[in-house]
Amino acid sequence: MTRSRPARTAALSLVTLALLGGALAAPKKVSGYGSLGVTDGKPGGTYTLPLGDSPQSLFYYGVIDNNLGLISQQLFDGLLEFNYATYKLEPALAESYVVSDGGRTYTFKLRQGVKWSDGQTFDADDVVFTFKNMIMNPEARAGDAASFKLDGKPVEISRVNQYTVKFELPRPSPAFLLQMRSFIMPKHKLLKFSVEGGAKPSDINGAWPTNVAESEVVGTGPFKLATYTAGQKVTLTRNPNYWKVDGKGTKLPYLDRLEFLVIRDPQAQVAQFLAGNLDQLNISGAQFPDLKQKEVAGAPFRVTRSTALFGSPPFVAYNFDAKDPALAKLFSDVRFRRAMQGALNRDRIIDTVYNGLASLPGHGVAPVNKDWYANTRPQLGSFNVAAAGQALDALGLKNRNSAGIRLLPNGRPLEFDLTYGTDSSTYPAMATIIQSDFAKVGVKVNLRGILSSKLLSTGQSGDWEMILHAFGDQPDPELRKPIWQPGGALYYWHRSLQPARDGDKPNVAKMAAWEKDIYAIFDKAATTTNVGERKALYTRWQLLFAQNLPVTPIAKPENIGAVSNRYGNYIYNLGVIPGYNPVPLIYQK
Amino acid sequence: MLTYTLRRILGMIPTLLLISVVCFTVIQLQPGSFLDQYLEDPRVTKETVASITRQLGLDQPLWVQYLTWIKGIVTQGDFGYSFVNGRPVSSLIWERLGWTVFLAVLTLIVSWVIAVPLGIYTALNRYSKRSVALNFFGYVSLATPDFLVALLLIALVLNLGGTNVGGLFSPQFIDAPWSGAKVMDLLGHLWIPMIAIGLEGVAGLMRQMRASMLDVIGQDYVRTARAKGLAGRRVLWKHAVRNAVNPLISLAGLSLPSLISGTIIASIVLNLPTIGPFLYDSLLNKDQYVAMTLLLFSALLLLIGNLLSDLALAWADPRVRFE
Repeated sequence: MTRSRPARTAALSLVTLALLGGALAAPKKVSGYGSLGVTDGKPGGTYTLPLGDSPQSLFYYGVIDNNLGLISQQLFDGLLEFNYATYKLEPALAESYVVSDGGRTYTFKLRQGVKWSDGQTFDADDVVFTFKNMIMNPEARAGDAASFKLDGKPVEISRVNQYTVKFELPRPSPAFLLQMRSFIMPKHKLLKFSVEGGAKPSDINGAWPTNVAESEVVGTGPFKLATYTAGQKVTLTRNPNYWKVDGKGTKLPYLDRLEFLVIRDPQAQVAQFLAGNLDQLNISGAQFPDLKQKEVAGAPFRVTRSTALFGSPPFVAYNFDAKDPALAKLFSDVRFRRAMQGALNRDRIIDTVYNGLASLPGHGVAPVNKDWYANTRPQLGSFNVAAAGQALDALGLKNRNSAGIRLLPNGRPLEFDLTYGTDSSTYPAMATIIQSDFAKVGVKVNLRGILSSKLLSTGQSGDWEMILHAFGDQPDPELRKPIWQPGGALYYWHRSLQPARDGDKPNVAKMAAWEKDIYAIFDKAATTTNVGERKALYTRWQLLFAQNLPVTPIAKPENIGAVSNRYGNYIYNLGVIPGYNPVPLIYQK
Repeated sequence: MLTYTLRRILGMIPTLLLISVVCFTVIQLQPGSFLDQYLEDPRVTKETVASITRQLGLDQPLWVQYLTWIKGIVTQGDFGYSFVNGRPVSSLIWERLGWTVFLAVLTLIVSWVIAVPLGIYTALNRYSKRSVALNFFGYVSLATPDFLVALLLIALVLNLGGTNVGGLFSPQFIDAPWSGAKVMDLLGHLWIPMIAIGLEGVAGLMRQMRASMLDVIGQDYVRTARAKGLAGRRVLWKHAVRNAVNPLISLAGLSLPSLISGTIIASIVLNLPTIGPFLYDSLLNKDQYVAMTLLLFSALLLLIGNLLSDLALAWADPRVRFE
């Protein structure tokens, strides 16, 4: 609002403002993404995306479901979100925040004038309600209660006034802000399912089943639920109350409708994309050549590659606690893991499995993550069968049997199972390459295929010898602490370190010296608020990781997407990353 | 006839109970747990796993889980709820039942209408070139898996520049109200599943019909019918076909359970909103009440199908008696 305008105009705009119900009070301007090719778009149009299966519910905190996540991302917002270009956190439903009390108090000032898609006012009550009854509710199946308990003490959330909320932490936690991307839910629609509304703590999971009336599902996101046809399609329409505008002040989202078609088979998704029934598709390296060829031949779509921060780089791990004591001893020996890294042909895997659409991996941090990545490339070494063979000789594994397989000190051949997921486009090919390359150094690998969805539970059960698996990269190492901190819930290659109960102190006495170091680093970094100090700590961790190889990372796959030429402002979007949703910027040309 | 039917229906109850016990046991024998699929999510801790296990009643002894489920069915007609969807199983099945029955009945009709005449033709003209060609075609389509045919058809449509590749409707018609255009769109999509799924049935039925027709046309009563001067057409339809069709009626009864489990892979490839993929998922995820209800339903359909085909047989064949 400029103050120099004549009074009449000012009065008129005040009236307009009142008519719009204050929706324009403080919209967030989305601009400055020229580097990503973003331009001002025009309103209108329909955009169709695939959904790998029907959503299991429409209530985000009730089920852990990737397909529901994809839809929820368009219906809800968090207090903070990522910058599309830098992945730095910036205001979303919160307009600003203040950290005080030595990093122990976070005060969020909420954006005023934001409306739910049914016209109700969004305020601090909704935020407090969401955190108390859903996110911090241990009975909510997709809640995140564990992240809101630090050293066993709960984080306190309180309402300061209608547009201010305050979080008080038992101790400083520098990664706490990342949790503020969690979606905020409408109190006026969900009260009756909550403890606050008199229901049992677990009743919240039953909110908004897939046959709920569409008008019940209310959010602050760019779109709102229009219809759900079981097993076939979810249609969202533009939320006229959305709180973002583009550089010119045009209301976002540009699109009128966003449609999700339920298509389970990845090949069927590609077929639907080629037929023009889908407008955008994330594909794998294996599908890339075919689609790229069609693009070059003049098909009306673009295939894009991006080295994204998120995504799951595969690794191999050896079971330090393998049932066979001779193998367990060998697998716990860092010299063995380093020797086997020399027999791991990363270039061949990148070329043949990913069609060249992958790069060398980082250690726990994606190389593109400028904030935290430390250059560990020299530690990756290179594929060298002769050197690997010599290193194994030096370990006392020089003798071989008639088949050329090395013999363990106990006289048995060095032979073990490699557990991998069969229903994946990459794991089976990688497992075969590993098997053939390890054979060259006299190590016999037997392939043991299981369903990919069972990889983690198999890993945690301890019933494996070598495993091929992947964990997703996140912007802050703190978020992956349960994976990489020895004794963490997902640190399953050395299971004997894990405490009997989550949150208890792990078995530090059994850790190797480098594991103790890493353990201490993660504990220290979790409470250090100084960014420089944290960076130094995590750099040291990555170097320890690269030298000692708790797991051996294989490659960092690129993210590949295909998008119809009818749409502009496409930014690669991995999938469900709360706080990273570029769809509001997409427009139909 | 009525007492016979009643007796058969009552006999189904112990059979179904036995089947439900077997299904439950087999599902429990499958390694892993329903919660395995969630472990990878950073939000899931040991405490979460414990509280979900408790919420779902999975911490109870197996026999308690089974008896609670059976009790729900008998006393309230409640088939339990889906762990995955957090909703009663029956409403989830109901949502998908319409299209499933529609597609199954349609494929059944299509395959019968094509297969029976072809079977008769190839039996009557055993050594003609056309019969040899049809038999060859029958063998090939019998040997080709339905999902492969589906994939080939999709590739063909794409190469010809078509857009109807999978599903039952174009995206804009899925949630549109019924209209002439929507029906046309449905027909434009329907032919692929009809060919892909129906073809296998055609080939099998055709061979069956041919065999039983060959059996019948050599019989004395057919010769007698001809000898007494009946018209060729009348002999064929009234005497030969009427008898030859009996084994097919039994077959039709047996094909009722394929409503649920018949075309899982083809349904996934063709993206059809049917029950098959739903069953497949529930088995993979160990969503036990969904899997058990569907398996039980499938068994019930088999029993009903058998009963119906026996009754139909009695109606079609005067030689069959129940008393």
